[in-house]
Amino acid sequence: MTYEELEPVLDLRKASEVFFHYEYGKGNLDTAFAQADKVYEEEFETGYQEQAYLETQGMMAVPEADGRMFVHGSMQCIYYVKGAVMRALGCGPDGVHILQDPTGGGFGGKEAFPSILACQVAVAAHKAQAPVRCVFDRREDLEYTSKRHPSLCTYKVAVKNGRVTAMDIDVKFNGGAYTTLSAVVLQRGLICADGVYNIENLHVVGEALKTNTTPTGAYRGFGAPQTFFAVELMMDHIARDLGVDSLEFKEAHMAKQGDVTSISGRYHFPVPLPAMIDEVDQACNFRRKHREYAKPQTGRYRRGIGMAVYFHGAGFTGAGERDTIKAVCKLHKYPDGTVEILASNGEIGQGVRTTFPKIVARELNLPLEKVYYDQPDTARVPDSGPTVASRSLMIVGELLRRAAIQLRDKWVDGEDQMVEEHYKEPNFMIPFSLEDFHGDAYPTYAWGVHAIEVEVDTCTGRSQVLGATGSFDVGTPIDYNVVMGQMEGGFLQGIGYASMEHMNYDNKGRIRNNSFSDYLIPTTRDVPNLNCILHVEEYPDGPYGAKGAGELPLVGGPGAYVEALEQALGGVKLHHAPFTNEDTMNVILKEGL
Amino acid sequence: MVNGYTAHSLAEALEIRAAYSVIPYAGGTDLMVENRPNSTYLFLARVPELCGISEDETYIRIGAAVTYTQALESPLVPPLMKAAVAQIAAPAIRNAGTFGGNLGNGSAKADSVLIEFVTDAKLRIASVRGERLVNVADFYQGRKQLDLAPDELIVEILLPKPTAGERWHYEKVGGRNALAISRVSFAGVYEERDGRIVRLAAGFGAVAATVLRYPDLEAMLVGKTVEEAKSLKPDFLAAYEGRMRLTRGRVSAEYRKAVCLQLLGAFLEEMGI
Repeated sequence: MTYEELEPVLDLRKASEVFFHYEYGKGNLDTAFAQADKVYEEEFETGYQEQAYLETQGMMAVPEADGRMFVHGSMQCIYYVKGAVMRALGCGPDGVHILQDPTGGGFGGKEAFPSILACQVAVAAHKAQAPVRCVFDRREDLEYTSKRHPSLCTYKVAVKNGRVTAMDIDVKFNGGAYTTLSAVVLQRGLICADGVYNIENLHVVGEALKTNTTPTGAYRGFGAPQTFFAVELMMDHIARDLGVDSLEFKEAHMAKQGDVTSISGRYHFPVPLPAMIDEVDQACNFRRKHREYAKPQTGRYRRGIGMAVYFHGAGFTGAGERDTIKAVCKLHKYPDGTVEILASNGEIGQGVRTTFPKIVARELNLPLEKVYYDQPDTARVPDSGPTVASRSLMIVGELLRRAAIQLRDKWVDGEDQMVEEHYKEPNFMIPFSLEDFHGDAYPTYAWGVHAIEVEVDTCTGRSQVLGATGSFDVGTPIDYNVVMGQMEGGFLQGIGYASMEHMNYDNKGRIRNNSFSDYLIPTTRDVPNLNCILHVEEYPDGPYGAKGAGELPLVGGPGAYVEALEQALGGVKLHHAPFTNEDTMNVILKEGL
Repeated sequence: MVNGYTAHSLAEALEIRAAYSVIPYAGGTDLMVENRPNSTYLFLARVPELCGISEDETYIRIGAAVTYTQALESPLVPPLMKAAVAQIAAPAIRNAGTFGGNLGNGSAKADSVLIEFVTDAKLRIASVRGERLVNVADFYQGRKQLDLAPDELIVEILLPKPTAGERWHYEKVGGRNALAISRVSFAGVYEERDGRIVRLAAGFGAVAATVLRYPDLEAMLVGKTVEEAKSLKPDFLAAYEGRMRLTRGRVSAEYRKAVCLQLLGAFLEEMGI
């Protein structure tokens, strides 16, 4: 074997091989730009982000006496792993079963990668006819498993009479060396490219490009944090140039119930952003501070406050629920009156082992301890879909609620009974077409408003978060503590993404900072004052009005944080995240602050 | 399986140290993580001579196996040392990590060592051959290179007692507010008598192979009046800028230098210069 060493492509700007390409638009872009008073063009970049789950990737395969291969480990999606292992072993659905072990966090990082590891241990166990286990150490996990896609977004925006009339947006995601989940990550990113705003004339083109670097993949937010960062800063910059307050400028463009979405679907339900902005303003004096910090500042420490306004499309992007996943779940009632939930959604810290039983127990009027949800095994549970896209509670929770009603109706004491429910797409939806990039990609949206206040030390470039306040609409919280844990954790993760979570590769494309002393994530000391507020806008097709929750709170972090830094740094325009202390110091030196 | 010896007195520890190839182990906060294969350790946490904090006429004496938490709780330990130690890692590490370990690890990022540099601390080093005192600045010969023979142990740190008129300034710049290794750290000590500067020390941690301190540059301001020092300030800062040769690490050398110079300036400003 002779190898020819080629020059690796590492830089997204130099990448030319396109994994995925999508394009969509609406209105009349040319006319809007021709009639514009002013046209703005800016570029925005975001970096990697590592999921940093507490438990590293780990998987074990055990050949069983009956010839089946049993694979168990740390994962989000048992049926994804099953499909992969079936292909690797060349066996049918009865030749393998997959169990999710108690899993120490996922954040998207255990959506796709466990399938690779499972195939490796399953093939080895098949060959050896003995159990085979593989558990990554932290360095290997940081270097080789998928992370958030770095992005490069170019926004060209037309403004007439103080209003944005058109946006022409180019989005590039660094997919790394393999395709992984880049197609859907890119789709979500593109759908969010015009933010929460109603932009009449819109053109969006996006590509996921190949580079010879660690493949990127799913991570809480799934493509949306990148484009929301770009559009929020773009709106800030235009507002400042026009001499108007950035929040008022955003408010003037915000979509309302009934408006058309970026991809010509509808906002079918109320858009509660104005009320949520007021809640955040009351909690942290946003408007007063935002005015005050815009004035010239002196002294070693300077302050700024920023706000991001955003949504997260609830559930799987596009027609996935209807055409691909087709979720099924079951309830098994035993003769002693206990009820077991049979579904494939894994507990990864988001609380489904708490919230699923709560829903079923409520409909059946049973005490909570009579309903249980075990670690799912494909040998025992139907495919209710992957544990992704903030879908488990909204989609599967509602199926379980309906299954519980079914069981209640046919309940016979002392009998062993089983009921089953299948997903049905809500009838109000405008069918989504991927070819046309058109329709309702999501039935509804979770909404978020973030304000982050920082104090920059001009001697060191350090910025201290003085306060982080968020209002989150995830519909009805089925379990208050679970939801608040999700909101606080996601908010903090978003602040890490915006500030200190800087990850880079060396000249061979290998991840440089592959340990937790080099890849820093925020501690409670970094954001001591974190305040989350729940705003409830019930979704009629979710269980008791619940919507997707898990991903939402991360999405707005970078936009709000970097806008706050811009104020603290005397009104400069910044264009990338994470914005590290070193980046801040460079601005301080350049601007002579 | 960990192989090691547990010593119960300094004499016993020194005999083991002389007889075997052992790694001195106090709190283990670095050694446990490193987990070097086939290592033999000398466990020092139960050696009474290494575990105390005491004072004499001239020095505060901190045993090599004293933990950061013990130092923070001691009324004897000077405030400047406490300011630095309070920001090390997190409570669990501070409960285990020791002054001797911070020195013995040989890193320029050691936060307690920076304070020992700017206060002209001495180290008491012992072996079966005898004892010696060494200036901390001489103890560090290069990156991870220490003036410590294979049979020697660090016994205690002799911190000169703060004088009545002494003022100090300490800042740590880490990547975050807890559990962070210093990227740049600065400590300054200043004293003025009858309008004249009688003492000035400025040390920089985590920016080169060892802690940096330039006594000849400090001498530019010593003996001067505050007014004279003010007019010399630009030259003083420029001299540091010319002299400092920094290494890159998790952050660039340029960033480190900019921060060092800013902190030096902020120190002088706080002292009224």
